[in-house]
Amino acid sequence: MTEHRQQPISEPHVLDQPWRLWSSIAIGGILLLGILLGVVIIPVVQGRGAGLDAYTAICRALGILPGSPAQPQPSTQFPATPVSQVVWTADVLQILSNADPRRGYEKVQEVCVSCHGEKGDSVGPDFPHLAGQSGAAIYKQLYDYRTGSRTNPMMTDVAKALDEKAIADVAAYYAAQPKRNLNPRSLGESPPNIVQLVELGDPNRNIPPCAACHRAGAAGPIETPILSEQRTEYLVAQLKAYASGERRNDVYGRMRTIASQLTDAEINGLAAYYRAGFK
Amino acid sequence: MRNAERLCLAHFWVAFAAFAGAAVLGVWQMWVRSPLGAQVGSPGHYFMSVTAHGVAMAYVLTTFFIMGFGYFVAVTALDRPLPGKVWAWAGFWLGVIGVVLAVLAIGRGEATVLFTFYPPLTASVWFYLGLVLVVAASWIWCVLMIVAMADWKRENPGQPAPLAMFATVANAVMWLWTTVGVAAELVFQVIPASLGLVQTIDVGLSRTLFSWTLHAIVYFWLLPAYTAFYTLAPRAAGGRLYSDTMGRLTFILFLVYSLPVGMHHLMMDPEHGNGLKFLQTLLTVFVTVPTLLTIFTITASFEIAGRLRGGRGAFGWIRTLPWHRPMVLATGLAFVMLGFGGFGGIVNNGYGMNAMVHNTSWVTAHFHLIFGGSVVIMYFAIAYEIWPRLTGREHLSPAPLRLQLWLWFIGMMVMTVPWHWLGLQGQWRRVANFNYADPIIAGWGPWVIVSLAGGVILLISAMLFVRNLAVLHRSPAPAVARPLYALAVHPPQRVPAALNGFGLWNILVLVLMVAAYGWPILQFVIDPSPGAIVHRTQWP
Repeated sequence: MTEHRQQPISEPHVLDQPWRLWSSIAIGGILLLGILLGVVIIPVVQGRGAGLDAYTAICRALGILPGSPAQPQPSTQFPATPVSQVVWTADVLQILSNADPRRGYEKVQEVCVSCHGEKGDSVGPDFPHLAGQSGAAIYKQLYDYRTGSRTNPMMTDVAKALDEKAIADVAAYYAAQPKRNLNPRSLGESPPNIVQLVELGDPNRNIPPCAACHRAGAAGPIETPILSEQRTEYLVAQLKAYASGERRNDVYGRMRTIASQLTDAEINGLAAYYRAGFK
Repeated sequence: MRNAERLCLAHFWVAFAAFAGAAVLGVWQMWVRSPLGAQVGSPGHYFMSVTAHGVAMAYVLTTFFIMGFGYFVAVTALDRPLPGKVWAWAGFWLGVIGVVLAVLAIGRGEATVLFTFYPPLTASVWFYLGLVLVVAASWIWCVLMIVAMADWKRENPGQPAPLAMFATVANAVMWLWTTVGVAAELVFQVIPASLGLVQTIDVGLSRTLFSWTLHAIVYFWLLPAYTAFYTLAPRAAGGRLYSDTMGRLTFILFLVYSLPVGMHHLMMDPEHGNGLKFLQTLLTVFVTVPTLLTIFTITASFEIAGRLRGGRGAFGWIRTLPWHRPMVLATGLAFVMLGFGGFGGIVNNGYGMNAMVHNTSWVTAHFHLIFGGSVVIMYFAIAYEIWPRLTGREHLSPAPLRLQLWLWFIGMMVMTVPWHWLGLQGQWRRVANFNYADPIIAGWGPWVIVSLAGGVILLISAMLFVRNLAVLHRSPAPAVARPLYALAVHPPQRVPAALNGFGLWNILVLVLMVAAYGWPILQFVIDPSPGAIVHRTQWP
């Protein structure tokens, strides 16, 4: 560097360069430290405790492989078996929204009417009412019968004979029928412990409130059936089937967890409560 | 600056009108969640109200206040006319139209998605378009701020830009970076869903994009308060700013470290690896640095003022400070709330502790204390300080101003301390009501009522604030001319380019953002996750 190009200390670029250099080094250094610690050092050290090799641990820390580098995951090598084959994809919702109740009516006349009635009022205590039921709920149950996720001596064969579109049509037809109107004078009062179970659940037994999902004339999430004004005998049978594990097409085992905690008296009381139309 | 005054006042009054309405909604929400109002309204009403409260407080109050204050600083600190005044008015009206669209959509029950959106919940497209217009208005403001400082620098080569303007432009530059995340979320995901063009939405991606915005947006709201700490408070206290360089460093550090840290809002989310969460947590730690610098510098500045006023001994200077001046009082109260809120924030940033307070009232308490407390009380103080300049009239007495600030402080503490406590007990947030018949929840009842009392005090303070500003417009006392901005103990003669502009820092922000958000966003493109079904909100 020649003499005349040297600048006095107050000149801007002499002032500027150290700032540029050192602030870049400081910020870049902190960044590199963070990456080194977060993506390399900590996962590799944690991974040793979890029995993971360094490569797997780093991939997990980056999110390329699922699971945490700190724990042995998954906890079992057995592949998970879904309890239901129904997935609520946009395509399935499209099929449901394009369903045709008139075609559904024809199928109902052909197949369903002898047990579930023309308008969805079932003919006997063992058959559920379907009038005004959620279309998605009917679809899921028929699909589960079809794939074997739920079994029933009669329904399994019926559902296997229907294709996916016919299932959606039938579901749309019954969903569109008016809800039943019961005579309120014929209904008794529910005991307080049953009302408590419905509205508050029982945290000591890990039972959430029934009404969190099954409300008056409504239900959610999507596959949840509407239970109000359903047949007592049918509800009792289903709760018992869940409790014994005979029925197992409930996602996350929610209903099996709940039903296995209920006493027979509670099962009867809840069924009566919902029969009364969820007052 | 007649026209500029009207411009500032127009922005401020839109901001404070939204604030007053949202304050009423806030108290109503607290009431219906308390044992006293447990039977009032439906969850639909509650969530509609929360949406309106959040939009008004977080988007309208803040954006319009910051724009108004920015225009004020550009004119007064640079001492030159505002460039592009027509654009500024265009931005104002664009924002107003946006607010009207959003409010109408909320009022019709078509936008009950809370102000942070929560896809796959999807509102009416008018709600999102309204908010896009507000953001577009703020972008116009950003450009005008950058142009104003660039023009000034051209006219004053080699001179250090006034700190108030440097801070305002830092905020404008940060805001441009900040809005990229939410803009991408709205344009590529949420608006197509709300128009019915797509049936599913990748929630992991939308949460990631929103987290890009979510932390820095809070600093966008915060920086005017810090601007007041550095440039208005030391002068109001009768002293000088301890260090101009500390101020510049503070605003630069906010620009650099507010952006690559948003993933600490996603600690409990499954879509990101632990390593990236750790990186952003580490960077979040550095966000405390500018706040600590500020507390040190402003305390030192106040000590200078206190000693000039005759204070002696280690703490005697605190007593001699002019606490009767609203700006000084507000700064002191803001520091107390910043202390509590800041420590709460550090708790949120710890992964293990975050797991415990996540989705509880603790989080609600934290952001109300930091934003509603320390930041908004400085908005009040700024308004009280500059209103005489804007209207040409003086406050007749500072007593109602001080009362209002004290009420705000007391109300905020009474409201948020029980909230923190309830959060630690597991009281969840984002719920419309509590079942006080449950013995566990019944125990929360008294604390909820205490926090409701804090909310009522806040509402009284909010109304008093609007009244204090409104009466000034008719005050018989003419404004007294006095200097506005504090001088530094050593006023800067020449500062390095790095402390006088943002070129270098923008490059570093880019590097940090690529490191912190590059892979987390790219992974959704390389290996898309199953989309969630779009859920359109409707009334009820």
